[in-house]
Amino acid sequence: MTGPARAAAWVAHLREGGTTPWAEWTGTVDGPTPPVLPGAQQLELLRRVNQRAAVPDALVERVLTASAAGRGRPDLELVGARPASDFGPPPVDPGDLPAEELLRVAALLLAEDLAAEGDPDSRHDRPDDLGRLLGDAARRMKRSGRGPWLRPWRTKYKLVGDPWRADALRRDLVARGRPPGGRGALVLVVADDFATMLGDLWTDRCFSTGVAVPAWGPWLDALAGSRRIARGADPALVAATWSERVGRERVRIVLDETQLPAVLGVPRLTPRPAVSAEAAELARLVAKALGLRVTPDVGRRILRERLLPRLVGHPGHPGAPLAVPPEHHRWIHRRSVRMRDAVRAGDYPVVGEVDGLVSRPRALAASGETLSGEAADERVLALAVDLLLAPTGAQDRTGPQEAGT
Amino acid sequence: MSARVLLHVGTPKTGTSHLQDVLFRNRDRLRHHGLLYPADRFDAHFLAALDLMALPWGGLQAEAIGRWDALAEQVRRHPGTSIISHEILATASRSQVGRAMQSLAPDDGAEVHLVLSVRDLVRQIPAEWQENVKHRSTITYEEFLAQLRDPERKGRIATWFWGVQEIPDILDRWGHELPPENIHLVTVPPPGGAPDLLWKRFSSVFGLDGLDLDLEAERANPSLGVPETALVRRINKAVNPVLDPPDYRPLVRELLAHQTLSRRTRTPRLALPPDLHEWARDLGQRWNDEVRRRGYDVVGDLADLEPGPPPEHWADPDSPRESQVSGAAVEAIRALLVENARMRAEEERLRHELHEARVALDRSFLRPSYRVREKVLRGVRRTAVGRGLHRVYRLARGRSSRSA
Repeated sequence: MTGPARAAAWVAHLREGGTTPWAEWTGTVDGPTPPVLPGAQQLELLRRVNQRAAVPDALVERVLTASAAGRGRPDLELVGARPASDFGPPPVDPGDLPAEELLRVAALLLAEDLAAEGDPDSRHDRPDDLGRLLGDAARRMKRSGRGPWLRPWRTKYKLVGDPWRADALRRDLVARGRPPGGRGALVLVVADDFATMLGDLWTDRCFSTGVAVPAWGPWLDALAGSRRIARGADPALVAATWSERVGRERVRIVLDETQLPAVLGVPRLTPRPAVSAEAAELARLVAKALGLRVTPDVGRRILRERLLPRLVGHPGHPGAPLAVPPEHHRWIHRRSVRMRDAVRAGDYPVVGEVDGLVSRPRALAASGETLSGEAADERVLALAVDLLLAPTGAQDRTGPQEAGT
Repeated sequence: MSARVLLHVGTPKTGTSHLQDVLFRNRDRLRHHGLLYPADRFDAHFLAALDLMALPWGGLQAEAIGRWDALAEQVRRHPGTSIISHEILATASRSQVGRAMQSLAPDDGAEVHLVLSVRDLVRQIPAEWQENVKHRSTITYEEFLAQLRDPERKGRIATWFWGVQEIPDILDRWGHELPPENIHLVTVPPPGGAPDLLWKRFSSVFGLDGLDLDLEAERANPSLGVPETALVRRINKAVNPVLDPPDYRPLVRELLAHQTLSRRTRTPRLALPPDLHEWARDLGQRWNDEVRRRGYDVVGDLADLEPGPPPEHWADPDSPRESQVSGAAVEAIRALLVENARMRAEEERLRHELHEARVALDRSFLRPSYRVREKVLRGVRRTAVGRGLHRVYRLARGRSSRSA
């Protein structure tokens, strides 16, 4: 009976904030032991959370009763906790579990926290009435200082291209009382060097629910083997499509965002804060679990308006930016050159330098996070643990309880 | 408060699609007899299972939000016997099982019976590989088998396979709080038996004997032969990057695999390689011994789970006869062309219908006063102020006011 008693004692130790690994645990309990223990993933995650800070009781229970989201290894037994069984997956030492397994549980818990907070855009919960319309208009005017209807000569615009940047710029402009659209709007194709656009495209999908997004490496692998590049990273294609629709004279490829305020007639624009590679990866995992809780439109708002500010507000921000693994440098460089040539051949007006589309080998080799390997997963897990402990952004830092063997 | 819940949690490829089809189509008749099969659509229990187990499934998960709680609530409200059936429930974790049991029968408020339909492992292994292929997988049979035999079971293939097929482990997770007499194992008869024998076993365990039910199968999950499965795997490699799951399901899985290629029944059938027979038979035997030891209610015969001898001529789906694959490919092209012709005809019909509707609209809108009002409105709506005023006007007129 030492195995079950030892396991039960370790679970109690973790519940009390203990941090001793299972392999080093020697304590036991007297009396009957519970027939079912939490899985090794849940227990090891709780140990990691305990290492970081004091854990509220409610969170302890949630961690211990959570299941990992999506397909993957089931809840595993502790090695040595019970007599060997011929059935079920082999038991494990929780300390040997890869961070990826713990992240599946942590991501589900974070998704539950976010879903419980509800849709950040409460307008969607309210009926469309006169009071709401007038209130919205007043708020918009207050934010911008003047309404769009007071400036009929303003430059009307439509933002397309790199979805991550276009979305941020659009939000900023709307907040300044400059919603997109209007007759004769200028079509601004937001672009950057090809590798950056790929990173932005992946990040944009990480902060969306509805469709599962592969990890950065496999996502790039699939792109490398495909002839097609998504429109968000192909400004030549986007410019061609819009030129056909509205005429070339109304299309601009924007490669220098610092010139955008002058183009749009606004004093300044606030770019979206940089998101580290680990933050994007955590968002991807949370989005996967969140997609099982809320509809895609709500999920997108939750990820961008609730999770993103917390990631940006994390003390470790900004972490290392996303970097392209070396095996992809050659094709990305070649393709970026072809893209620049296509833009030149199309003779589209460019704001900035058209050479800005090219991803230079030296720039590609610059340091960054390629999100490959166990160390990267550990960093993402550390970030997830911090967010679990401070779901609304306030970081509580009390030391972990001492190990009690 | 529900009095009795019959919870059918697996396993896949044991006639579950036919059972669920019969239950769904006869749900009104069942209700007259006090049996609740709570489903507003055929896949209602599948969606509820996705929700319970937080499983993404090719974009379907958005339709699954809140489905389990809604299903459980219907069960709790029903005073008689309720039936829940989906085979992917077999892979639920202990905590998910706990949540399911608590939501269906809070505080032991109902008598829960667990039903597990089972088939011999020698037939289940190739059937599961084929299911993987019909769900976009491109894994070879050899690699699939290698992953299954990995003792660590770390890969996704092995995790899923053993999660939904390892009978003693499924019963450990789902049945650890139930008395053995409330756990019913329905065995799938070996090939060559009476065609309705499996249904009779399901009927007896679900209490459907003597009820006048429509048993005509509308939905089934038919099997493919070796060249057909090899063809679908090759198609997956080609279409996965360009075909999204919502298009893959009706075109590849339904039209090609189920409706077309499954009809080719004279090609070699998928089977376990002869050199793995002994391993699978021994494993199955250990499961049988364990089930017998635990004293569950067996509906059928545990001898049904003992596999037959290995096939004399085994066809390797990783190296199929190319003439057979091309025969299957021609069938697939024929089906796609026929479907394309049908869709073209449908498109033409819709085009014609749309044209007629436009002509009718034009006739209605020819009045000069309408043209003037429309022009004014277009002008007003060009500006944000105009659009705002128009919304205010419509609100002031009331929601039922039609556009000018």
